[in-house]
Amino acid sequence: MIDRNLARGLFLMAISLAFGLTALKYPIGDFGRAGPGLFPAIVSAMLFLIGVATVIRSRFVDKVALTLNPKNIGLILGSLLAFAVVTMFVNMIVAIVVMVFISTFAGTNYSWFRNVKISIGLVIMAFVFAKGLGMNLPLY
Amino acid sequence: MEVLHNLAFGFSHALTFHNLMYCAIGCVVGTFVGLLPGLGPLATISILLPLTYSIPTGGALIMLAGIYYGAQYGDSVSAITMKIPHASSIVACIDGYAMTLKGKTGLALFTAGISSFIGGTVAIIVLAWFAPMLGEVAFLFGPADYCALMMVGFVCVSFVTTGSLLNGLAMCLIGVLLGQIGTDVNSGQQRFTMDLPFLADGIGIVSIALGCFGIAEITKNLDAKEERSPFNGKIKLMPTWEEFKRIIPSALRGSLVGSFLGILPGGGPTIAQFAAYAIDKKVSKYKHEIGTGCIEGVAGQAAADEAAARTSFIPLMSIGIPENAVMALMMAAFIIKGIQPGPNMIAGHPDLFWGLVASMWIGNVFLVVLNVPLVRYWLSVFKVPYNVLFPCILFFCCIGTYSVNNNVDDIFITAAFGLMGYLMMRLELDPAPLMLGFILGPMLEENFRRALLLSRGSFATFVTRPISGTLLGLVALFIIWQVVAFILQTREKRAQARNGGTSETAEATA
Repeated sequence: MIDRNLARGLFLMAISLAFGLTALKYPIGDFGRAGPGLFPAIVSAMLFLIGVATVIRSRFVDKVALTLNPKNIGLILGSLLAFAVVTMFVNMIVAIVVMVFISTFAGTNYSWFRNVKISIGLVIMAFVFAKGLGMNLPLY
Repeated sequence: MEVLHNLAFGFSHALTFHNLMYCAIGCVVGTFVGLLPGLGPLATISILLPLTYSIPTGGALIMLAGIYYGAQYGDSVSAITMKIPHASSIVACIDGYAMTLKGKTGLALFTAGISSFIGGTVAIIVLAWFAPMLGEVAFLFGPADYCALMMVGFVCVSFVTTGSLLNGLAMCLIGVLLGQIGTDVNSGQQRFTMDLPFLADGIGIVSIALGCFGIAEITKNLDAKEERSPFNGKIKLMPTWEEFKRIIPSALRGSLVGSFLGILPGGGPTIAQFAAYAIDKKVSKYKHEIGTGCIEGVAGQAAADEAAARTSFIPLMSIGIPENAVMALMMAAFIIKGIQPGPNMIAGHPDLFWGLVASMWIGNVFLVVLNVPLVRYWLSVFKVPYNVLFPCILFFCCIGTYSVNNNVDDIFITAAFGLMGYLMMRLELDPAPLMLGFILGPMLEENFRRALLLSRGSFATFVTRPISGTLLGLVALFIIWQVVAFILQTREKRAQARNGGTSETAEATA
């Protein structure tokens, strides 16, 4: 079991290190004449301290299990990425259809026919946005 | 008299045909999206923000404000009818849902609508008087004072929204760090861009908001796999005269509490609702009924909710510092339209400022006239199964991010923040303070560097200036109090455990 409180502390420390170590590579300057690296370095240091405090605190409170469900978030993110890639190489109408067909795998049940209906509805909606509201969408 | 004159000027702007239309569209669309499960005001505003890009500035701001309080109202409707606790209307679930169980849904919705109207009206009077006054005070603020004020905001927001100072502050700081990505304005140095050209201008606020609130919320609902039964009860809206008389005192109390709490840093609708509810429980004539589904339990909190939603515009428009995450998003919208909120906004764009204030009242009228009678049609939104709804929300997220820069790169960033938002949600980190940190981050850095430049690198400037000294003193007191409270609590728990009270500790931690 992964303890959620401990994981949270480690997560915060990891982020602070990622930003803080990069910030140190930029010119720091001094307090009177701060360089671009000074402020992010200070903020990262504070975040690191909070991370350490969270880790210490996790020793004193009861453990809570961390649950992750990679399937749903994977499908949703996959459909987003597919939308972007298909828009880039084909066009947005195809991208909308692809997104609907991938993302609905995450739902409680899957229906091919329902997906067609949703896709048609959303494509019409996209046309309304493009023609009615003047948005610049590469639909076709 | 000057206030009346200004308000009349504002109404002359807000009552043009186009602005009325934008206000109505904003209220209706905001209510609609706010009703959808899992989408509170923050997600609603970020999804609908792109719709306002092609609208003239005044109309766009009026529409966004309409979306905001429309979403707030829609939220309370779903809380009353189905007990879906969004972050923004938790209190409405208590007595409002209890009234639904008693079969008084219509009365509860009517009470909420009328009380919102009263709350909004009081808040606009407060706003019209107070915002220009506070704007004068803001001219006294130096860079060090701005830094201190932002620190107060961080601490208050962290504590109020998450209940845990440590987690909230961590999220604020992550937000500040994310705000650092891009080109440093002082030196031109590219920071944290990983040599990716599309990061040179920084991350878009829409990507962060949609990733952390839109995508993460969808996944949360999918993970939960709960099917909600739609509301099918009868709705009888009009109250009797006796019932109507009970609404007024409670709503007025709530309006005053809400107006006041809305102005404070970290304040806003949520804390105002709790405060108004607690006060009604203490002083109301019918206090013994509160909690079992009575009018006062709904009226006070709904009035406070709307009042605070409007007065929280005061710090944003007169000082230029948003006090909570929703206002941070509003500020981003102002900046996208080329308006810098702050002490100069009232003087520099009086038509925008007073037009917006007046439109808030008009929006209130729309909510009462359009949305309250139509509420039974709104509820049919819930008959749409989530399996149909979530691809549609995803579609809006995609179109929304794309249309910011007409660029697919932003969708990749949104996806990255969706993953981050999901991880943070599972780690029990609330993304709302992150939004505030992200918006305030660049301002904080600029003021921090300027303050130190003026004082030649001496940190004494933060303590010796009266305004910043006082504010930082408050922050220090608050943090010390939190640490002491945690230590005492842990000790008590240990002592209990040693006394063999294992069942009590289990309760305390649950």
